[in-house]
Amino acid sequence: MKDRDPEAKPATTALRGSLSRRRALKTIGGAGLVASAAPFIVRRAFADSAQPMGPGGIPLARPEHPVTLPMYEDPLKAGMAPETGGDFVVYVYADYIDKGLVNEFCKAHGVNMQLTTYDSQDEAITKQATHAVRPDVVNITPDRLAQGVAGKLIKPINHSYIPNLAANVWDGLQSPFYDVGSQYTVPYTVYKTGIGWRTDKVSEDIAKLDNPWSIFWNAKKYTGYVGVLDDARESLVMAMLYRQFYDINTEDPAEIDKALTDLKALIPICNPKINITEYQTLATKQSWLHQSWSGDLLGAYVNYLPAGDDGSSLRFWSAPKGKGPIQNDCWAVSSSTTKPVLAHMFLNYILDQDVAFNNFAKFTGYQPPQKSMTADALIAKKIVPETLRTAVMGPEDVGAGSLQECTLTSAGQKLWQSAYAKFNSGT
Amino acid sequence: MYPKWLWAVFALPGVVWLILLFLTPFYAVIGVAFGGVDPIFQNPLPAWNPLDWDFTSFLDTLRGFLPGRTYWGIFLRTTEYVAIALSLCLLIGYPVAYYISRHTRRTKSLLLALLILPFWVSYLMRMLAWVNLFAPEGYVNGFLRWSHLVTTPPDWLNGNPVSVILGLVYGYIPYLILPLLASLDRIDKSLLEAARDLGASPFSAFLQVTLPLSKTGILGASVIIALPMFGDYYTPNIVSGSPKTSMLGNQIDIYFHGGPQPSVGAALTLILSAFLGVLMAYYMYTVSKAQRESQA
Repeated sequence: MKDRDPEAKPATTALRGSLSRRRALKTIGGAGLVASAAPFIVRRAFADSAQPMGPGGIPLARPEHPVTLPMYEDPLKAGMAPETGGDFVVYVYADYIDKGLVNEFCKAHGVNMQLTTYDSQDEAITKQATHAVRPDVVNITPDRLAQGVAGKLIKPINHSYIPNLAANVWDGLQSPFYDVGSQYTVPYTVYKTGIGWRTDKVSEDIAKLDNPWSIFWNAKKYTGYVGVLDDARESLVMAMLYRQFYDINTEDPAEIDKALTDLKALIPICNPKINITEYQTLATKQSWLHQSWSGDLLGAYVNYLPAGDDGSSLRFWSAPKGKGPIQNDCWAVSSSTTKPVLAHMFLNYILDQDVAFNNFAKFTGYQPPQKSMTADALIAKKIVPETLRTAVMGPEDVGAGSLQECTLTSAGQKLWQSAYAKFNSGT
Repeated sequence: MYPKWLWAVFALPGVVWLILLFLTPFYAVIGVAFGGVDPIFQNPLPAWNPLDWDFTSFLDTLRGFLPGRTYWGIFLRTTEYVAIALSLCLLIGYPVAYYISRHTRRTKSLLLALLILPFWVSYLMRMLAWVNLFAPEGYVNGFLRWSHLVTTPPDWLNGNPVSVILGLVYGYIPYLILPLLASLDRIDKSLLEAARDLGASPFSAFLQVTLPLSKTGILGASVIIALPMFGDYYTPNIVSGSPKTSMLGNQIDIYFHGGPQPSVGAALTLILSAFLGVLMAYYMYTVSKAQRESQA
């Protein structure tokens, strides 16, 4: 049974029928009251959870505190025919989906493919909020989901159009903590944050160190070839994990300051580069040691190895469950869609075993959470080398007990951003 | 013969251009600096009405420029990089402009075309070309090894301030040479002939006549390249990527790129503009003084 905002439904239902003027005025007045009171109502609805509140009064989801997102409208009715003709707009990070696969879907359904890309979730949210882009489906990260729902940028989904969710996706992501019941999203890719390195350049066996993160603070001899992710959360979290501090969604200024001090200490030690191009630089030996997303190591192996390099020097280490961050991102149906049935079918298409496999193995390098896609299977198919087995995630990595960088309150975001800016200033 | 207003109409496209593409966006930046953010989307909510301005974030940011505070170090570094890059641009660019202006006739058009040639390639592409040239196994280090000039070539791209400064010089020097060339071309050659007739050596004529008369050109060309250099963030990003070489533009980028503090990014922009405004004011004072002197 889907949970929904109990106060929102009467207003939307009442407006559907034909109304007398008096009734209409009463309804509009009531709707206005409900709208203005909505954040308060949502806050009250979640009052028992004692969780910090995010956009629109939606509690901030944590793996140990799952959140059922409020529903401001009913999902699409079941059994409707897909729309045809016109454009079908897919809004996604650049180079994060195989254009050929999207084109195949659009051709099969008689629509024109329009792949519109963004550089960041901030850009994606802003352009949808200002209607600069009107997508049919959108790639969204869990930490932006509350914004998407509270800002009514995405629509609830009807699972009857998406049988591949139950059939193919890991059980732990059928009803994820950030969207209990998968009312709005289906998962797209999973990845973890760890350390990527080249064994032909780095002499230490990082995986066997007592504290593998300490390699960055002992990397003087690799100066100039060390990298840290260009991401406020990830970079500071690395410093927290180095100190074995695992409350990575903390909003305690003292803890953030400690992480900043540790991170700044790296500058005189190894002068790290700040970027997110490790998928390329590790493959081409421009960097030897880099804080990395697992998908980028797989991507480096799949797409970026120079001729003559078999990739056997690439390694990835990540901490065990609960000790290192994992992430995933999702697809959702945009509120601006003019083809809601087709949008649902796209979500189902992207969860198809073959489509997901081809998109991963031939294009993105980012692993979809598919039941069929185990480390053993990928290694047997020679998609992933045995040496990068550690970069492949399994169903056991997600769910309760996992460590995930989640949405912060606005005040918390300011603290993290300011700390990151200080690190970036190098002073 | 023609009504007086006719000539004023000629300025209209420029005025409209300025209002639409400079004054309005600049006022928007002011509105963002003194405004708030959308509680859901975290988009900036500019405060258009000055009565609604909130100065808290701006004043906090301004205090960050005090010695030893948040932005002091990066402000000094940015000023240092721009000052060195500007000096190098003048050292390289002035002789080039002087040579083209004074010592070329038939080849002048060709040299001008060659000067404009870099504009055909985007700035970003030219910077990316540098990455290949200066990579550890790139052509520059290859040459240094081959010529035995050095045994261990430097790591140009690994947070090396020299690379960032050279990148700025390489990227902006064409913008300096062209206005400088125009300024040198405008100098009345009979003044130089008079100096020589009065016994000045070529070097003395240059020092006494050409250099003073090209002062406004030097200042104008310097302003043209110094302003974008101060706000540059992609040159250090591409040729270095290290916090040790980041510039004030990188801070603006961080705050404007997302998150709940666009007002800090806007405040940094305004403070940088005010600083550059001082340089601009000096340039305008010098130009108007030179005009007054030439009319006298």
